[in-house]
Amino acid sequence: MAEPEIQQLLGVGLIEKDTNGDALWVWCYPSTTAEMRDLLLRKCCLTDENKLLHTFVFGQYRRSWFYITTVEVQDTSVLKKVTHFSIVLTAKDFNPEKYAAFTRILCRIYLKHGSPVKMMESYIAVFTKGICQSEENGSFLSKDFDARKAYLAGSIKDIVSQFGMETVILFTALMLKKRIVVYHPRIEVVQEFTRTLPALVWHRQDWSILHSYVHLNDDELEALKTCTGYIAGFIDSKVSNRLDLYDVCVNLADSEITISQQAKEAMTMGKLHKEIGQLIVQSAEDPDKSDSQVIKVSLFYV
Amino acid sequence: MDEVDKILIHSLRLSGTQVPEEVQSLQEFTTELIVESVVRCLRVIHPSLGTSLSHVLPPGMSARFRIGTSLAQACQELGYQGEVGYQTFLYSSEPEIRRLLLFLVEKLPRDDAEDARQPAGKSAGLLRAIAAKIKEELGTPWVPPACRTPRLQRLQVGPPPPQIQTHVSSQRALYPPHSRPSPRAHLPRPPLSPPQEVQARQEEELAGLRGELQRLEAEMDAVGGEVKVLELSLSQVRAGLRQQRLALGGREQTLQVKSRALELLPQAENNLAKLQLLVESSAQRLVHLAAQWETRRGPLMDQYRHLRAARHSCQLESTRRVSEIQALHERGRSAATEARRKEELCRQLLTELESLPKDVSRAAYTQRILEIVGNIRKQKEEITKILSATRALQKEINSLTGKLDRTFAVTDELVFKDAKRDESVRKAYKYLAALHENCSQLIQTIEDAGAIQREIRDLEEQIESEGAKKTLANLERILSDYRALRQENAALLGRSRDP
Repeated sequence: MAEPEIQQLLGVGLIEKDTNGDALWVWCYPSTTAEMRDLLLRKCCLTDENKLLHTFVFGQYRRSWFYITTVEVQDTSVLKKVTHFSIVLTAKDFNPEKYAAFTRILCRIYLKHGSPVKMMESYIAVFTKGICQSEENGSFLSKDFDARKAYLAGSIKDIVSQFGMETVILFTALMLKKRIVVYHPRIEVVQEFTRTLPALVWHRQDWSILHSYVHLNDDELEALKTCTGYIAGFIDSKVSNRLDLYDVCVNLADSEITISQQAKEAMTMGKLHKEIGQLIVQSAEDPDKSDSQVIKVSLFYV
Repeated sequence: MDEVDKILIHSLRLSGTQVPEEVQSLQEFTTELIVESVVRCLRVIHPSLGTSLSHVLPPGMSARFRIGTSLAQACQELGYQGEVGYQTFLYSSEPEIRRLLLFLVEKLPRDDAEDARQPAGKSAGLLRAIAAKIKEELGTPWVPPACRTPRLQRLQVGPPPPQIQTHVSSQRALYPPHSRPSPRAHLPRPPLSPPQEVQARQEEELAGLRGELQRLEAEMDAVGGEVKVLELSLSQVRAGLRQQRLALGGREQTLQVKSRALELLPQAENNLAKLQLLVESSAQRLVHLAAQWETRRGPLMDQYRHLRAARHSCQLESTRRVSEIQALHERGRSAATEARRKEELCRQLLTELESLPKDVSRAAYTQRILEIVGNIRKQKEEITKILSATRALQKEINSLTGKLDRTFAVTDELVFKDAKRDESVRKAYKYLAALHENCSQLIQTIEDAGAIQREIRDLEEQIESEGAKKTLANLERILSDYRALRQENAALLGRSRDP
């Protein structure tokens, strides 16, 4: 018998936006603290005035991961006064694909039945057995989504093609456990980029340094500062003025990497780094090599 | 016409002409009076034109003639469109004189009208006061600040702005330090040896202190480096400690679970089944609780949303009402200011009206003008009526004439056809022709009579207008003047021949 995995799920919650324009926490299981509720309201895009809908966002706060799927309600649904809603899942592990699939199923269940009770059944099924029935005559199997697959899902080649030789700066920063801040106005881009970065230091297989969606909010920044090294993703351009938050700042929109003054000394790079950089760029440009092979190249120098 | 004359005489009196009291209309104006009034008007309108002319008509004929032509020229220079010459003044006719005087009176500058036209009102008064003040200031010559009397100081520009003062004071502050070294440099030098010793001692001390400073700096750098290294290791150790603590927490949990599992292991099958049952029942209980909670939560959620919507609409309503009230307030305020302004204007106009001269009754004139306008309108209506009647009549005449011609042609043919055979028909034909001839003659005579009557009326009108021109009297006067002129010429010739 295969070893049954321990579910890392912590909780599920429901945020609705109604016809009055209010975004409210309407249901959660088992419970959430007021702090988490505020945080998740901020992260889900329903409180924004600019009405940009982000289908799936994820991030980390004090060692728990949150995954939010947002859906717009069509007029024909049973939910009469609701225009949009978000389903929030909190878990202890990093696995965006798994939880994205699961939240999508939960969204469809909620859309169909209009009551969280059905969602709860599916949630408990997954929690206890690791499997639940989805609406489209299929089933969601928790064991289909392996943690390693989540780690490898990002594309190192894309990073190398965007930054070229400067990738070695990111590599050095990660090796030295520095604080990296990534900025782009669109959260999807930030998430995609930041989730791939820890793969450069594959030998550690540590994705707990990843905080892919952070706002310039005091609580979150306090939590961030308790970590020694991190990769933090922001969509607010003012983060580049916060020199206290980073050693390396990556501006994805302009494809620029800046090293802050206090870190310049520690990050001085020599001939070895140049060699590493060249090798990484070469192997990334090779169309026959896959992402994992590129990663192995970087491991060579560890 | 009397009203017009009265106005003219009044205006001429205002311009300085001494019109005697008994003269009430232009017909009674003598040549001298005409000349005087024209000259005085010219003097008022255009002083340069009028001063060369005297307003008294000289007795000599040639002088009179000269004055007449110069007056005529002056009037033409002013822009009088009608025909004007020496005869207009010396051998005047009433309509011509009236036209000329009206033209001149209109050209008179309206002084009192201009005074009245000055806009009354506080802002205009303020503007006038400002203009007066500026004129006064521009009138006084500029005097340098040192020489100004207190009054002039108030009038002309005051002290310079504070920024310039502080700038000046800062500049002044800069100067003393620069000036200080120079006096010192100019002091005579003291004798050499004691200060030399002091200087050497000072230099020694300075070198020693510098060495000390450098040593201390080196020590500080070293210590700083050590501190940094220690800090780094401290932070590393701290990070390691944090991680270990977290790992410990996780391991403790797994330890608990594994120990529990170990306890249950002996009776694995049973316990497994029991556990599964437990899990199932807990799951069901949870779902049941969730359902119960949902029954409570649903209605509360709906109520909350309903109340929010109601509140929102109430807010909208209240903001709408508030804006309405504000708009009403605004309207009320503007209406009040408008009313106040109008009252003010009314008061001003009333005072103006009272201050205007009362001798000329404007109301009577306006009444007359309106009556005349009404009369003219009625006349115009009647004229259009008569014209349309005439046109209708003419149309009828034309149609009847046409009908007559056609009927005659038809009858003529018809009778002529039979006339060849029958004698009586021939006679009838002759009678018909004669009848037609006579009737047409009759019509012709009537038309001629009408034309002659129209001519008579025209000629009568002409006679009337000529009569008013008193041409005969003027001709006699011209003849007598001509004779007098000839006599003068002869006399002058005679005088010029004998020295």
